Parts: sequence; C-alpha cells; structure tokens
Amino acid sequence: MQRYLVRRILQFFLIVFIANSLTFIVPRLVPGDPITEFLNNQQLLNPNPEFETWVADYKAKFGTDRPLWEQYLNFWAGAVRGDFGYSIISFPQTVMHRIGVALPWTIGLVSVGTLLAFLFGTSMGALLGWPDSPQMFQWFVPVLMVIGGIPFWLFSFVVIWIFAVELGILPPAGGINMLDVLIQGDTLQARVVSIAQHAALPIFVFVLFGVGGWGLTMRANLIMTLGEDYILFAHAKGLPESRIFLRYGVRNALLPVLTALAMAIGGIIGGSTLLETAFSYPGVGSVVGAAIQQRDYFVISGAAFFMILSSALALLLVDLMYPLIDPRVRYQ
Amino acid sequence: MTKKRAKPSKLNTELILGAAILGAIILFSLITPIFIDKDDSLLGKFPPNVKPNSVNLLGTDLQGRDIFTTLVYAAPQTLQVGVVTGLISLSFGTLMGVLAGFFPGRIDDIVRFISDGLVAIPAIAFLMVFVARMQNPSIYVIALSIACLTWPGSARAIRSQVLTLRERQYISIARSNGQKELEVLFREVMPNVFPLLLAQFIGAVNGGIGTAMALEVLGLVPTRRFLSLGLMIFWVQRMGGVLRGMWYWWGPPILLIALIFAGLLFLSSGMNVFVNPRLAGYGAAAKRRTAARIKEFLAARRAAAKGMEPPDEDAILEVRNLNVVYETVEGPVKAVNDVSFSIKPGERMGLIGESGSGKTTAATAMMRLSRPPAFITHGQVLLEGRDLMSIPDEELRRLRLKEIAMVPQASMNALNPVMRIGDQIKDALIVHEGRMSRAAMEKRIAEAFGMVDLPADVGKQYPHQLSGGMKQRATMAIAVALRPKVILADEPTSALDVVVQKRVMMTLMRLQRDLGAAVMLIGHDIGLMTQFVDNLGVLYAGRLVEWAPVEDILNDALHPYSRMLIESLPTLTRKKALIGIPGMPPQLLNLPPGCPFAPRCPFVMDRCREEMPEVQSPQPGRQVACHLYPSHTALPPLPIRDLIPEVLAEGLVPQVLPDAVAGD
Repeated sequence: MQRYLVRRILQFFLIVFIANSLTFIVPRLVPGDPITEFLNNQQLLNPNPEFETWVADYKAKFGTDRPLWEQYLNFWAGAVRGDFGYSIISFPQTVMHRIGVALPWTIGLVSVGTLLAFLFGTSMGALLGWPDSPQMFQWFVPVLMVIGGIPFWLFSFVVIWIFAVELGILPPAGGINMLDVLIQGDTLQARVVSIAQHAALPIFVFVLFGVGGWGLTMRANLIMTLGEDYILFAHAKGLPESRIFLRYGVRNALLPVLTALAMAIGGIIGGSTLLETAFSYPGVGSVVGAAIQQRDYFVISGAAFFMILSSALALLLVDLMYPLIDPRVRYQ
Repeated sequence: MTKKRAKPSKLNTELILGAAILGAIILFSLITPIFIDKDDSLLGKFPPNVKPNSVNLLGTDLQGRDIFTTLVYAAPQTLQVGVVTGLISLSFGTLMGVLAGFFPGRIDDIVRFISDGLVAIPAIAFLMVFVARMQNPSIYVIALSIACLTWPGSARAIRSQVLTLRERQYISIARSNGQKELEVLFREVMPNVFPLLLAQFIGAVNGGIGTAMALEVLGLVPTRRFLSLGLMIFWVQRMGGVLRGMWYWWGPPILLIALIFAGLLFLSSGMNVFVNPRLAGYGAAAKRRTAARIKEFLAARRAAAKGMEPPDEDAILEVRNLNVVYETVEGPVKAVNDVSFSIKPGERMGLIGESGSGKTTAATAMMRLSRPPAFITHGQVLLEGRDLMSIPDEELRRLRLKEIAMVPQASMNALNPVMRIGDQIKDALIVHEGRMSRAAMEKRIAEAFGMVDLPADVGKQYPHQLSGGMKQRATMAIAVALRPKVILADEPTSALDVVVQKRVMMTLMRLQRDLGAAVMLIGHDIGLMTQFVDNLGVLYAGRLVEWAPVEDILNDALHPYSRMLIESLPTLTRKKALIGIPGMPPQLLNLPPGCPFAPRCPFVMDRCREEMPEVQSPQPGRQVACHLYPSHTALPPLPIRDLIPEVLAEGLVPQVLPDAVAGD
C-alpha cells in the first residue's frame, strides 16, 4: 500500500515534469520570440526611437535574454513557487494573478456542468442499455449520438441568440453583474442569484451536449456487462429485475465510466476554453482565449501548466480511487 | 485452410445516412462554385450586414462579404484539413500499431512508452503553446502538429487487433508453411485490420476537424491566408455577430459543421458493426424485433400449454418437445430439437454430448433463461405439473432457485465481482424468504457454506479472492441455499483440475442425497458422468438420440452414436483397441433432412439420409431415435475392424470426447 502510494506519486511528478518540459522546450525551438513580435507591433503603432534598447530591456525583464538552459531552470524555479512571470500585454500583472483570479470561476462552472451531465447521461445510458426498458427509449440513441459528437460549444451561439438576444431572459455574457448586485445592496443572496443567472446558459449547453457522450458510453458498457455470466446466474437466482439492473448491471458497468469522469474533471481547465470564450465567462478559458488573440505568450504557457497539472492529478486520483470502488484492483 | 475474414454483412442505414450527408456536402461545394463569382463575393464589395435577399442568399457579414459564397469555399477547406490530419495521424498510428503488435518485445515496449506518455499530455495545452509561438503557421503545419499528438489512440486499437490476429490459427499455419513475416503481415494480417483502419480513419478525421476548428476559433490560425468554417465562427465571435442578432451569419456554418460531424458519426457507428459485431443486435429496430419475437413465442407456448396432456404424476420434472432456435444472420439454427425426457424426484440424470450439441442451450432454456439470439420456440417444461415455459414471469421468478436451481457452466464468472459472496447468498434469501433477523441470516449463510464444505468466513470475501474450486463451491452454495427440488448442474467441473473435479462432484452428489433433490448433470466427459448418474441422455446435434438407465447404455447402447461413445472409453478390465468416432459433428445451419448422425454412422441406410428417425421405445424405460428399430431389438456389433484403420489414419485416439480439453 505504502510502496504503491510512493510509486504512484512519483509517477505523477514524472508526468508533470516531462509534459511541462516538452511544452517548454519544443515551442522554443521554433524561430522568433513573442517579445520581439509584440514590440514590433507596438513600434508600428507608436514608434520608439531607441527600439533596440527597448527590446533588450523587455527581454531582460522577462528573462528571455538568457541561454535556453538557464531559462528552463528559471522556469522550474518559478513554477514550484507558483511564479510564471509577467503578462506581456498587461505588464506588470503576473501570469499567476490573471489565472488565479479566473480559476474559481472555471472550477465552479465546469465541475457543476460535468457532474450534472454525468448524472443525467449515465442514468439515461443505463436505461438505454437495459433490454427491458421501454422501446421508445431506443429512439434516443441516434439523437444522443449526434448531439454527443458535435463540438458542444458551437451551440453556445444558438442558446445565446434564443435566450439572451431574442427572449432576453438571461444575460448573454459575463460571470456576475456587479452593478445589479450593488443596486440590490450587495447582499450574498444578490450575488448568488446573479452568478447563477450568468452560469445558467453555459451550464445548460455543457449539460445538454455532455449527456450524449456519457449516455452512449454507459449504454455500451452496460450491454457488455449484460453478456456476463453473473447476470445470467442472477436471473437464475430469481432476483427481481430492478435488483439485477442496479446491483449486478449498473454497478459493474459504472466502473470504467467513473474513470472517464475523473479524467473529465482533470480536463476541466482545458476543456472549457471555447465555451467560456463564447460566453465571455470570466474563467481561465477566457483568459487563455484573450491571451491567444493578443499573443500574450507567457499567460498561454502558464495556463498550459495548470492544464497539465490538473489532468495528471486526475490520473493520480483515478489510480488511488479505483481500489475503493473495484475490489479486484488492489494497491500493488 | 479457411480464413476468417470479417463478414461482408449488409450495408446498414447508418452507413448510408452518413455517406449521404457527407456526399451531399462535398457535391454541394464542388458544384456551387461554378455559378458564383468568387472574387466579387469574397472581397467585401457588398454593403455590410445585409439580411438574406435575392442577391445575397444568406446576406452579408460585417465586412461586406457574401456569406453564402464564404460558406461554399469554407466547407471543403474544413473537410480537407480534417482528412489531411486524419491521414497523417492514421499513418503514424498504423505504423506504430502494426509494429508494436507484430513485433512484440522491445519495439512494443518503446511504442507503448511513447504513446502512454503522449496520452498523459493534454493535447490542447501543448498545441496552444506550440502554435502560438509560430509566426503565420500554415494550416498543414497545424494538421501535422495535431496528428503528432493524436496517433496513440489508433495505434492502441490497431495494436490490439493485430495481437489477436497473430494468435489466430491461420496465421500460425501461414507461418509454419514458411511464409516470411512480412508476407504474413501484408497477406494475412492487414486485410483483416482493414475495417478497423477505416473506422479509425473516420475517428481521426473527426478529431482532426474538431481540434483544428478549436484552434481556428481561438484565433491561433492566421485569418488572412485561409478560409474555413472555424474561421467564420472566429469572425462572428470577434465582431459580436451573435449579440447583433445576425443569425444568418453564424447559423449556416454551425449547421454545416453539425452536419459534417453527424455524417462522420453515422459513418463510424455504421462501421462499428463490422469492427465490433457484438453491438449489432442492440439497435432500436433489432431490439424491437427481438422483443416482438419473444412475445410471439411466449404466446404460442401459452396457447399450446392449454391443451397439453396431463403431467406425469411420478416425475418431478418433465421436458416435452423442447425446441430452441438461434436466430443468426445466416438463418435460424435449431440448437435444441424436440427434446423430451423426465426426471423422478431424487433421481440423478446425466445429459451428455459434444460441444455444440445443445446441452447448455437446453439447460438454460429449461429455466427459461435463454437470451437472444436464442429463442425457445415451443415445448413444455413441467416442474411438478407447472409449465415453466408458459407461466407468468413473476411466478417463474419465484420458482427459480427456490424450486429449480442452476449451477452454471462458467462458474468462474457466475459471481458478481464487486459483491461479497455472503451478500450474493443474502440477496437471494431475502428475495425468496423475506427479511429475517441478522442472526438468522448469518446462520442460513453459514449453513449454505457448510453444505459445500466451505468455511463461513468465505462470505466476507470477494470472488476474485477465491480459487477456482472454491468459486465453484460458492456458486453451488448459492444454488442449494434454498434446498431446491431440482438442480441443473451444467459441467460444474469443466474448468477444474482432476483432483478438485472429483471432490466437487462428491460434494454435489452428497448434497443431492442429503437434499433429496433431482439432479440433471450436464457434461461431455462420459467417464466422469457414468460414475454419478442413474439415467443418461445422449444429445447429438440438438436431438436426444438415446435416453436410458446408465447400466443399459454402458452394457448395450441402442444408438450407434452412444455405442461409439462408450467404445471410446478406456477400461481397466477390457483389453481391446480404443476407437474414436470418425468425422465431425454436423453444422446445425441448414441441416440436411434425415438423421444428423447418418454421415458418421457405420450402420447407415438409405432411409437415414431422407427421414428423421422418430423417438421409440424398443425396450421398456428406454428411448432411442434410430431407424434400426423396431426391426432390431438390439444394436448389432460395431464393425470395429473397419473403423480402426480410419481412426489410426487420422491419429485420433481420444480417451474422452475431444472437447474435454477445450471446454465449450
């Protein structure tokens, strides 16, 4: 048990180390650097007579005047302290500040969305896979397949148009309307209502189109499980359908889906970039989206660090959690 | 040798639908440009933000470009990016997958190490950082970067397919025939990987379009040099097209993207049937047909049960004209064909037959547990006079385990892996006998374990913690926990070694004595069987060809097949050559008329090839289905001298039936 833990945690650090080293080094092999590019653009708008010193000055501030190996060491030295340097665009704001402010919004939005989609999706998939469920359920399969396979963020536009533009019942963008909240006396209740109103549409899109994937996975797993001998024997034991369905069918079919859930939670930070951008939601996704459009390179790479970290954490979580839900797997 | 290629099954609706959608989009984007002046429409010469009208079918965007034209030129670009990405990713994946699968060892390890590592890196994070660093990257550089990260998925699927194929018989035959590894790879392995490759390609295209589009929408792809559906969305987002209510701007590209994805999905799920045939029967239509057939047969059995002959008072279990059919793609297969016999209380009956003779199918049907594609077409199984084939589901459920129990064939997998053994007895006890006090429950569980010589603390363990023999006993403990009147034991020992086999059989027989239950023991090991049963039924190609007390069958079997089975047994006292049964059991699909044993029978007559023999009783208490009777009263001696050379020539001198080793 203890050796397993130690090995598994070491593996976690190894993944984080290798993945981040790759994302640090490989892009830097491409010619050109983001600071010169940024200052070149500035120069066009607003010429600076001492351009060369200006560039050198900036490079020194960002540490890109050093040799690559030194930058690499500095990167890790900073990363362990949670320091990813400065934003190029909104200097002297730090990358950590920009991401730190946005992180709670993303975690709140996506974890609620993922959990709801998971709950609806797996229950629906289980019903679809059970041979004795009503026949009309079967028509959901192609529907789920289609909506589950289309990139869900595309539907943000449709939803914004219907609910915010045409009907005008929910806000089209943002995470909270502070003006509204202040008018109502800045109470906690007013804040919660405003946050909920703003999160409603993105979560709706997230859930509506996440259900398909979960549903189909669960259905396929359940169908495979139903072919097992223990299901036949459960019938031979004279157990009622409902018990066979839940304790023998769903309980076993759920195991691989739970792994997928943990992985999905690990993808929280990276997975919502497009959704957040569409809704201008104040989360990490929007920060990344804006940084990409402004070529704010260090913000992008700082966000990538967190994406790698969260998916590696999810992998670790799966391995630590699995022996608890599947008695066949032990900490070895 | 026969090759097992993927079966060319019929085109399904999904495949057609997917091809139609994608074909329509491609055709549309090929034909429409002929009628449109590209330069005029794309340079923004129109007034901005015009609603759809006769000049601009879908209006214009904020830069004065005709939206319809933009769409026509963007759609094929999006598809092209997807196909290019898909091709690159699949080529990497195939190369790596085939290498890893076909050359296990070092190469396999290296490929797996790289692909495992890549899977741990979130692709979008790496792509963002990488592409953001490039100045004006071409879309194909981006396609290449995406493919570098996405190949491990196809590599894994292909590797495992190649690994399974390697183990197939015809591959080893090809190899032992002296074909070179590479020749084997391209001639024998690749054609079989092909359906999987196609499915993987569709998946890779899907992923390619999705990832490229995400990068486009985020603004990582230079917008001046390229036009695609993703970039249309990028501009909508950039310029606030949604809040301006310009549905004609963002609606069409989204619809087109959705159609492309839907087309790809239908294609891949249509192909899935070829790759993974097991899922085929689970479509909506197939499920409805299956449900309708189950109902139809049940109604027919209920109608037949109304006019049935009164039950035999002496028998506890009476099987009358049981028929089970497997509905396969090639046609119906009669797996159990008019089987009839009866068992008295406390009697031990054996049912013997080769693999595929219908033993397990019959036993499963006797408890009405048959699952599609197996259907019980007609017949009755009377348990103390109640017809299990036609009583209501709920009544049947209450009889299962309490009155008639089963020890399943694959008892290695008969226990729910995530439930403690004790709980798996407990739920059966609660269902049949209602809630009871904790102490009473524990007593009952301990009692059940005691009956099969298992210590009570096994109840706290999970199935995987037990050995094969213990699992078999635990399964048996569940089967006998309610002291049923009839136990169907389906090859209860086939997966166990000889020593454990014997002990499990002794336990089963002791239980049978203690409980006074009737037992039907199913197996193919005639030597083991004859030691434990009173009556023996011999099943051949789904027909019960002989049924008689075991001594009678051992001493003078009436059916040529049973006699040849007995002759294939080694004995300590008889000193003579063993014979096998030349030939193979028949294919049950499209069985020719007449006796199914005719092609292998030494006494075959012309009549045997034309007419199915009726079941008759040449001696009291015995049944046989053979045209030798009633003109004979006993079976003539086997022409052994004629048989032996053939047996020796084929090198077949089995001690038991061939599948004793292989199992069913």
